[in-house]
Amino acid sequence: MPVTPALLSLAEIPLNQWRRIKKVEGPRQECSRLMDLGFTPGEEVIVTQASPLGDPIVIRVRGALLALRKREAAWILVT
Amino acid sequence: MSPLQEVASDKTASREMTVCLVGMPNSGKTTLMNALTGGNFRTANYPGVTVSLLRGRTRPELGPVVNIVDLPGVHSSVAPSPEEELACTVIEGKHPKVAPNAFVLVVDATQLERHLKFAGFVAHQEKPVVVALTMVDLLPRVHQVLDLEKLQSALGVRVIAVDARTGEGVRELLSALQHSVEQPVLANALSMLPNDPAEAFHSVRALLQKNGALQQTPRAHEIDPLTAKLDQYALHRLWGFPIFLIVLISLFASIFWAAQPFVDAIDSGFASAGQLLISVAGDSIPARFLAEGVIGGVGAVAVFFPQIMILFFLMTLLEDSGYLARGAALVDRPLSALGLHGRSFVPMLSGFACAIPAVFAARAIPARRERLLTIWILPLMSCSARLPVYALLLAAVMPAAAWKQGLSLAAIYISSLLVGALVAGIASRIVFKYRNPSLLAMELPVYRVPRLKPILRMTWARGSAYLKRAGVPITVVSAILWLLSNFGATQQSFIASTPMDESFAAQLGQKIEPALNPMGVDWRVGVGLISAFAAREVFVSSMAIVFHIDGDEAAQQEGLLEQMRTATFPGTSQLIFTPASIVGLIVFFFFSLQCFSTVAVVRKETGSWKIAGLQLAFYTGLGYVLAVASVQTLRAFGVA
Repeated sequence: MPVTPALLSLAEIPLNQWRRIKKVEGPRQECSRLMDLGFTPGEEVIVTQASPLGDPIVIRVRGALLALRKREAAWILVT
Repeated sequence: MSPLQEVASDKTASREMTVCLVGMPNSGKTTLMNALTGGNFRTANYPGVTVSLLRGRTRPELGPVVNIVDLPGVHSSVAPSPEEELACTVIEGKHPKVAPNAFVLVVDATQLERHLKFAGFVAHQEKPVVVALTMVDLLPRVHQVLDLEKLQSALGVRVIAVDARTGEGVRELLSALQHSVEQPVLANALSMLPNDPAEAFHSVRALLQKNGALQQTPRAHEIDPLTAKLDQYALHRLWGFPIFLIVLISLFASIFWAAQPFVDAIDSGFASAGQLLISVAGDSIPARFLAEGVIGGVGAVAVFFPQIMILFFLMTLLEDSGYLARGAALVDRPLSALGLHGRSFVPMLSGFACAIPAVFAARAIPARRERLLTIWILPLMSCSARLPVYALLLAAVMPAAAWKQGLSLAAIYISSLLVGALVAGIASRIVFKYRNPSLLAMELPVYRVPRLKPILRMTWARGSAYLKRAGVPITVVSAILWLLSNFGATQQSFIASTPMDESFAAQLGQKIEPALNPMGVDWRVGVGLISAFAAREVFVSSMAIVFHIDGDEAAQQEGLLEQMRTATFPGTSQLIFTPASIVGLIVFFFFSLQCFSTVAVVRKETGSWKIAGLQLAFYTGLGYVLAVASVQTLRAFGVA
């Protein structure tokens, strides 16, 4: 029986896998800034790299590369 | 030709069109500004605002002159940073001093969706908008084909491709602007864009796809392969930090070694200029005032100019290449744990050359709290004005042991970084009530080969801003201190030319002597400490004056060291410069904010005296207390 995949955050998904944003959930002001930067529901994203210390991580969205702290990436939920 | 030539007075400006450049950070606005104005722009500060705008006029050969204002980069009108707030105020026409007639929306062609999302806010203002498309040359690198005609008809406004490096499209952009202000502003696709980010992105994508303006819709996997490749190294788990370290070390090496010949030339140039003046004009008091007080003061500023210019040049180079953002990402974790921001590393690094450009560099930190905290610890970074002081003191305490001096100097530099980190960590938890860090969400721009001409222009603009900000206070303070140390109250007259020992400075030094005794030094050192507020390295030349040393600099240093070894407290045989008192002085210079120019610049950048004054009192007080504590502790343990 197929299990509905649980929502994971960008901070949890493995590197180099395309995912689709389901929702952006967290502190209001920060989340609206993330949406301004291009992280809107329905958009495809991929985590391309982690920095040497593991945090921040590098994410591609809408043709741009962005460094996000894991704390911030955790607000972006993907399927 | 100076790029900081006269900018139009407000009178002529009112007859000329004013155009604002609007765009996201990294859209290429400032490069376009350079191309439009030929580097002829200045930073314009407005009262009550701690953020400055770049203002300039177009080059005359480009046609009718237009006033150009480069607004800070904006992501959205929900404005969290002071920069964005200022930009939005100007765009909405609410700024008292800047009234734009038209906007140039600067858009990165490789990231149309992200950069056009904000266009709605600009187009809502019902003023003419022209889109300037930058980075068009990068489109093949990201496998995209853009049809300008179709894009123009989809957006409903003029779209001009510009290449700021070659100046291509700049003339066309200006004529499109002239044309647009003569036409009534019609509703267009951009002014229909919704404000909500998700909806706006959706509409922009629909616009771009509607008539096939953009082929191969930008998807993240089409990102520039060169950037992907280089980031494998720059952010590599093992190589990332070594590469970063090599970059930093080369930067330091160039600041200190490459600048040295220029520093020496400037130093001796000003010294001979002073001597020449005295030999021509005669050895009179006004001539000596001009030669020693004024020319010497200008020299004290000019001597740092080579270092600062090299620093600005390399920083701009790193910024332009795209590496600086990677560096910030590398160190964000430790810095954010201290309450700082990844980008804090740039001002901290600059602080090792001079705190003044470092305070300017702190502007790049988006959140106010983190910017203030960065500014707060900058005076601790071991600036190069401290170097001659440490060199003198270490040579006095460890004669004939160059390697020990070198090692101690390295220890001082590393400690200044560690103490800065400690202060930031404590301050962020106690004073700044640090709970949650602000957002990092930092764009990593595409790597590009740096462009020399715009970098040189930017370097010059930043360097001359430094000269203006720092030059005046240092020169004035140095002139005042010269007067104080060459005039005094005598029995015959309230003010008379006196030898140093009887001057106002000496009197002031004697007044504060009770405070100096716990530090183990006498009033003569006090005079040196006071004069160091003009610039720390002035301590060395003041010491030479109070200990009556003549001759050129090398002879001064030798003679001064000799004199320091034998100097005793007046009327006693007790040596002044003992290991304990020298350690005390080093500790004092390590902490104390002995630099009026830094205080003035911090006041300007933070918008009030509060932080600047607090900083001055805190660090100078801390320096004094710790200096006394170390002298007394050393003595308690039997070190003289």
